[in-house]
Amino acid sequence: MSLSSALETLANYRAHNTRASQDIVDKGKPLLNNAASKLGDDAWSFLEQLALAAIEIGDLDVADECLRQLGEKFPESPRVDILSGIRIEATERPEIALKFYDDLLEADSSNAAAYKRRISVLKRIGKIEQAVTELSEYLDTFYSDVEAWVELAELHSSCNQYTFALQALSHALLLAPQNPFYVLEFAETAYTANDIPLAIKMFMLAIDIADRHDSEESIPTGASVRAWYGVKLCCRSLSEKPSSPSASDTPFPKNLNLLDELATERVLTAYSAAGKEGAAGRELVLSWMGPSDRSGSRVHFVR
Amino acid sequence: MNYTVGPVTYFKIFFHAARHPHLQVNGVLLGKSTSGTVEIVDAVPLLHHWTSLSPMMEIGLDLAGKHAEELGLSLVGYYQACESLDTALVPVGEKVASKIKEGFGDAVALVIDGDKIGSPDHAALIPYVAQTPSSSWRPFDAGTVKPFTAGSSFSLTSPTFRLLHRKFGDFDDHLEDVTIDWLRNRAALPEDLQPSLVA
Repeated sequence: MSLSSALETLANYRAHNTRASQDIVDKGKPLLNNAASKLGDDAWSFLEQLALAAIEIGDLDVADECLRQLGEKFPESPRVDILSGIRIEATERPEIALKFYDDLLEADSSNAAAYKRRISVLKRIGKIEQAVTELSEYLDTFYSDVEAWVELAELHSSCNQYTFALQALSHALLLAPQNPFYVLEFAETAYTANDIPLAIKMFMLAIDIADRHDSEESIPTGASVRAWYGVKLCCRSLSEKPSSPSASDTPFPKNLNLLDELATERVLTAYSAAGKEGAAGRELVLSWMGPSDRSGSRVHFVR
Repeated sequence: MNYTVGPVTYFKIFFHAARHPHLQVNGVLLGKSTSGTVEIVDAVPLLHHWTSLSPMMEIGLDLAGKHAEELGLSLVGYYQACESLDTALVPVGEKVASKIKEGFGDAVALVIDGDKIGSPDHAALIPYVAQTPSSSWRPFDAGTVKPFTAGSSFSLTSPTFRLLHRKFGDFDDHLEDVTIDWLRNRAALPEDLQPSLVA
């Protein structure tokens, strides 16, 4: 692989936040020695990228060399401090990493990244309750951090606290109403919390948002395939149990049978459009969706 | 009851974990029961996105169950790998494993032991079992003989390891691109293991 194409791949990973650590280290290692002379101004973001990737795959010598070059160039940088913290997390006891971030916060209480690393360490060592408390405090200050709201929701979900998860996700939806994946996550959380009418409403909203930018509306792709699957599942659940409760008082959808048929048609269209590669899956999905099939029964994550 | 974990199963479980080292992943085990032995011959990877949420898990379980039936196999267990070195079967994993146990009495749950991955003389799998579908799941305890060592009721049939995991896809991937063959994952398996997929 030529130098320029390696650089291009690495820059592309940076632009898209791609987590391809092995590949980043494979391509980046040959560029490490005296990176600034080879890469110019791109060197510093490259070194940060390579350090993180190297820590993830355990190539700590590479990470330390990145940190050395970065520290020389930016001796007082909070961004390099965080990277040093992550390096500490890789080999030191969690208490030492927590103390390191505490000290950073003592010096500057607006260091959002230090907050988030602390929370991530707490999560890793299983102190979920404390992680939830600190993340809530963080969000009091940094309300507009969408990813943090989603993280809070996932922490709640991992403890079967689906109602709290929905509350956290509703903040994410307020902040980023156009992102179909947050809406999908909300829908799937509502389903898990056994609020099927709310789930179906949000699955439909996710489809609406995902298809809005598509010129070719006739073939569902990506988020909308998943959402149509969700609609199908909800329809099945509601037709088996028409008196399904809704904690959010969401009205029962009208024309359930039509919606069910539409969901079936939409999911199958996604397979038909995929040609030969979709054909095998289509048969199986068709047998699952057929009206006579009642093999599926719910797995209740909440009692 | 004895359990054997076949090479295709072993490959798939570890490919799935290697594909998403920073996420929790899960899936189901396919196999059959013959005279005192549960042969686990295949695995179907399910989720890596929202492993605490149930809808796609329910659909994936249904589809994997139908796929198993077509191959003349049953769902015989569940597997899970954590994003940390934690080796506990998560609450959601217990629920899914119990669900499988309702249909297959000798169901087992396998949790990847992240600390032991890559150590050549260790299977790096921790089996969990439960008395009944409604009782809690505990690590299999057979006294002094550790699972996946000589004389244990858990054994592997010839595991080898090659780096093909980047071609590997689960049900979550399939939902984003329906051409991804999550049920079989032929593209991710070494050539010499392909024929054994034709059950």
